[in-house]
Amino acid sequence: MVSTVLALLLVMAGVAVASTVVALRSPIAFRVAMRNVRRGPWRTALVVVGLLVGTTIISGSLVINDTVSAVNVHFAYQAYGYTDEGIYNSSVAQGNFAYAFFPESIYGAIANRTASDPQIVGTTPEIVTGGSIFDRTDGVPESGIQVVGVNASAGAALGAFAYDNGSSTLGPAVGSVLLDDQLAANLGATAGDRVVLYGATPVPLVVQGVVKDDLRGGFLGGNTAFVSLGAAQSLWNASGRINFVAVTNAGSLARGLAASGAVTAQLNATLAALGSPAGLAAYPLLATAVDQAIRSGSSITTLFLVLGLFSIVAGALLIVGIFVTLAEERKGEMGMLRAVGLSRRALVHTYYFEGLVYAAASALAGTALGVAVGYVLLELYVRSVSSLSPSIATAFAESFTASPQSLLTAYVIGFLLTLGTIAAASARVSRLNIVRAIRSVPEPTPPLRLYTGLAYAGAALVALGGLLFAATRTGTGDVNPPIVGLGLVIAGAGLVASRFVPNRVTFSVTGILLIAWAGTTSLHRVVLGSQHSDTILAIFVEGILMVIGAVLLFVFNSDLLVRGIGRLAGRRGRAVPVVRVGLAYPRRRPLRSAVNFMIFVMVIFTVVVVASYGAAVQQGLDNSVTAESGGYTFFGFTSVPVPNLPAAIANNSTLAGEFSTVVPLVVGTVAAALPGGTGVWEDSLYAAPANASADQNFYATNRYNFTATLGGVPASTVWNELATNASVAVVDGAYQPGGVTFGGSHPSVALGAVVPLENPATHAVRTVTVIGYMSQTFLGGFWVNPSTAAALGYSGEAGFLLTTAPAVAATTAAQDLKRAFYPEGLVLLDFAQILATSVQTVEGIIGLLEVFVGLGLAVGIAGMGIVALRAVVERRTQIGMLRANGFTRGMVLASFLVEYSYVTLLGTGTGTALALWLYYNATAANAGTPFGVFVIPGTTIATIFLVAYALTILAIVGPSWRAARLPPAEAVRYTE
Amino acid sequence: MQEEVVVSGRDVWKVYGEGETRVRALQGLNIDILRGEMLAIMGPSGCGKTTFLNCFSGLDEISQGAVTLEGVNIHDLTDRAKSEYRARRMGFVFQSYNLLPVLSAVENVELPLLIGGVLPKEARERSEAILGELGLAARAHHKPSELSGGQQQRVSLARALVARPAIVWADEPTGNLDEEGSIQVAQLLRGLNRQYGQTIVVVTHDAEVAADCDRTLKMHDGRFVA
Repeated sequence: MVSTVLALLLVMAGVAVASTVVALRSPIAFRVAMRNVRRGPWRTALVVVGLLVGTTIISGSLVINDTVSAVNVHFAYQAYGYTDEGIYNSSVAQGNFAYAFFPESIYGAIANRTASDPQIVGTTPEIVTGGSIFDRTDGVPESGIQVVGVNASAGAALGAFAYDNGSSTLGPAVGSVLLDDQLAANLGATAGDRVVLYGATPVPLVVQGVVKDDLRGGFLGGNTAFVSLGAAQSLWNASGRINFVAVTNAGSLARGLAASGAVTAQLNATLAALGSPAGLAAYPLLATAVDQAIRSGSSITTLFLVLGLFSIVAGALLIVGIFVTLAEERKGEMGMLRAVGLSRRALVHTYYFEGLVYAAASALAGTALGVAVGYVLLELYVRSVSSLSPSIATAFAESFTASPQSLLTAYVIGFLLTLGTIAAASARVSRLNIVRAIRSVPEPTPPLRLYTGLAYAGAALVALGGLLFAATRTGTGDVNPPIVGLGLVIAGAGLVASRFVPNRVTFSVTGILLIAWAGTTSLHRVVLGSQHSDTILAIFVEGILMVIGAVLLFVFNSDLLVRGIGRLAGRRGRAVPVVRVGLAYPRRRPLRSAVNFMIFVMVIFTVVVVASYGAAVQQGLDNSVTAESGGYTFFGFTSVPVPNLPAAIANNSTLAGEFSTVVPLVVGTVAAALPGGTGVWEDSLYAAPANASADQNFYATNRYNFTATLGGVPASTVWNELATNASVAVVDGAYQPGGVTFGGSHPSVALGAVVPLENPATHAVRTVTVIGYMSQTFLGGFWVNPSTAAALGYSGEAGFLLTTAPAVAATTAAQDLKRAFYPEGLVLLDFAQILATSVQTVEGIIGLLEVFVGLGLAVGIAGMGIVALRAVVERRTQIGMLRANGFTRGMVLASFLVEYSYVTLLGTGTGTALALWLYYNATAANAGTPFGVFVIPGTTIATIFLVAYALTILAIVGPSWRAARLPPAEAVRYTE
Repeated sequence: MQEEVVVSGRDVWKVYGEGETRVRALQGLNIDILRGEMLAIMGPSGCGKTTFLNCFSGLDEISQGAVTLEGVNIHDLTDRAKSEYRARRMGFVFQSYNLLPVLSAVENVELPLLIGGVLPKEARERSEAILGELGLAARAHHKPSELSGGQQQRVSLARALVARPAIVWADEPTGNLDEEGSIQVAQLLRGLNRQYGQTIVVVTHDAEVAADCDRTLKMHDGRFVA
């Protein structure tokens, strides 16, 4: 962190020193620049506003990153508190037992060895398991809870439990239980309630109190019952044994965290010295959790930054636009300065210094605005999830963070981005013919030698792109480099062709080819094969290439389009001259309009892409209720295998009528050695009995679909094969190559691949051939024949798929079933409810992204506003002439509206069309998966359209109205 | 036969600013301009020539007095009505041509016709015809930046005359032209005036242009002088 800050400060110092040197060497340029800054305060303010958008996007992304990291770190601290390290054996992790039991005497040996270590303040013996609880007082059961056995007298290092009323206790008394807030709320329990804990042996206890979900009471995420060590040992028949030793480091949480690496190493050395008893090892739990928390914050930043890239590029284009406008405005002055002896370099310096002031001011304002934007977005998020997850909403509300490092990073990057763009634009606009500049004579048509130069540049692009394409077409999983490579080849070929073929033909073809190549996912698969996978960055890469294609089409065909629109204005009346004049500017000066067109296309493209993918995911999730559930209502699992749940339900007078199907599943964990160098991947294993009765037969009752099967055989054939063949397996949809995923990563496996599966506990291995990809991903893992599961050591039926009988409410059936099987720790997951929650979460995130990328609209709108303001000044005499010839004020206003509406609506429409095209192709390429649903979010797109247009008109109506109000006598003779 | 007064001004004042910065640009002008007359207004810089043109054509408001054009008090009209009147009955020629740079010569010329509601096809034919009369047939589809100063002023003239307005106001029409161009434009103005009988008011510094006019009025400090 310090090195990054130092690097950023060094860069700024470098810019300052270089600028000072140049200022001393070009004092006239510096003086002229400072006067230009001061001579129009409003114009300076407007330019700064136009320039700050890119920095705002960067700053907003980093603030979101800071806050998400802070929230995650908050939860990490809450989950582990003062448990800096854990000593345990996780090799037999299964069901209620995350850690293997070991003799309590080993703890004594560890405690003796670490007692003198100054870095360790204490060690605490614990039992950390699962279980179920039943509140006898109010009759409410709860399965799948966490049970922690603690020794109150030996747990001082971990801190005290804080009661909700403010008092505290070191731990539960014998015969008592402390419930954390979450579990107490789920049970409706209060102090004094009589409860029974269910594990191997039921243990009756009295609720001693309800404790806060904070450092001590929030251990491992909540929904926890804290009992005495003896009670936990009784629960699992583990007298004299424990399964976890919590180690607390000396000093504050932060100091303890910093020392965790050294302490872990020391602990492992100690364990080694003890002969590695019971396979125990020490793990830096808190440090790992905090590290993961920070990393997950970074992945969200990446998502926001990548989608924000369009706005950043749009902001850069706006900077170019502003400086080109400034240069146009000052062309005469520049010509004069050159005529009196100012060198071209000094002219560039003039713009550089002016830009330096603008960049410094806009980066500062943009950084501050980014903080505000981040705050607003997070506030919106808090509101959207507050009903879904109050604890997350509270954590976000309390954790808003804008770290100095992030603010510095945003400022420096924003400053350099702005300054770099200004420097490039300055170099371009300073290249002028002195006479033409002084006399305001337009630049002549480019000479042939320009096209010769372009042809050489194009040939270089073809070579570069060809090399990139050839080098990355195979042997890399990232789809972006070969897409860029071929894109460069197309663009380069266009430049070469422009030397010989008319521009309209050359660049129209180039534009179409770029759009077709970048936007057609199936074409990528044909050309590149299927070994490449899409990343979120692909949206940006493909989008930029498509936008460039669209801009080429716009620039070289604008006149045709304008002519067509002109015909729509009718044959007589005021509309004819208004449309003629309004469209004349974009028609005859398409390059100027192209900047604003491109800004609008890019921004709307991003917003519509996000909205479309959001709609697709939502629709996919809606459609997934059947796909993910396989037609069942619940998936249930128990903490201990239930030998014959179907029979138990059939024999229960209440439950028998509530469930029509009860399918038992053998559930386990396997380490899969995936072919293709993907490595070992741990996942779940499922197996359903093959010869069960009709209402218990998975193979006959499930409605799971396959997205692809080996040899293209139908689903019934695959299920039949799985029921009878011990050497085959099907996998969940996440294993399918090329699937689109939002964040995270999942290995893929090819159909027909032979995969060794190993039980991590027993090391038994069985090899299976993958014969199908299921469309569902909820029950992720390998689905195998029951004999395969048995050979791997899994035969207990601890998973269940259940369907409620017709007209039976899922909630009622779930409550009755949980009440009957809470001693076995039955946990029921309602597919429909889970998917509904997912939809709500996705909607919240997509909504945030839409707002975030929509910020780019500010760029387009600011661009239009600035161009309109300048147009009023630039065209005063023309406006005067029009008024003299009979244009009414309304007609002047209307001609401006026509001009800007043309660019805005065309840009908005093109951006929408490109986004839908890309999205359609992406969904077509993922047909059959939740991401393969093509849904046009009509209402959202219409809203985007209306908002973009309305805000743009709002931005330009002021300048246009000023133009319309110009007294004609003043306007005709105006000289700026 | 009694000659018809097209433009009439009575006690026309135009005052800019207030207090010490007050400038009397026009001081109680009285004038009648006849139909078909070609009138030159001359005078030194700052004498009020352009203000006269702006105030009498309705481009600018007056401070006091009355200006009637074809019997209509132009300053009693709303802005919209004034615009419509200008579109139907007036043409303007400016020193800096004031052509729309993004329109071709013929498109610039046909603009007043389109504003007046003439069908595009007819507007195009009439515009091409007048450009032909002014010797610009071959340059009709060129943009202003591709024309010389003289050619641009001829396009500007064509635009002013194409709708056959009753009155043409020309503000220093030769101010940006060389001698040859000036003579050419002056002759064109005179020729068109004779051909179509339009009233032409020319504000000019150019004695050659004034010499071709029916009448010349000299201005000084916002007044006509002998």
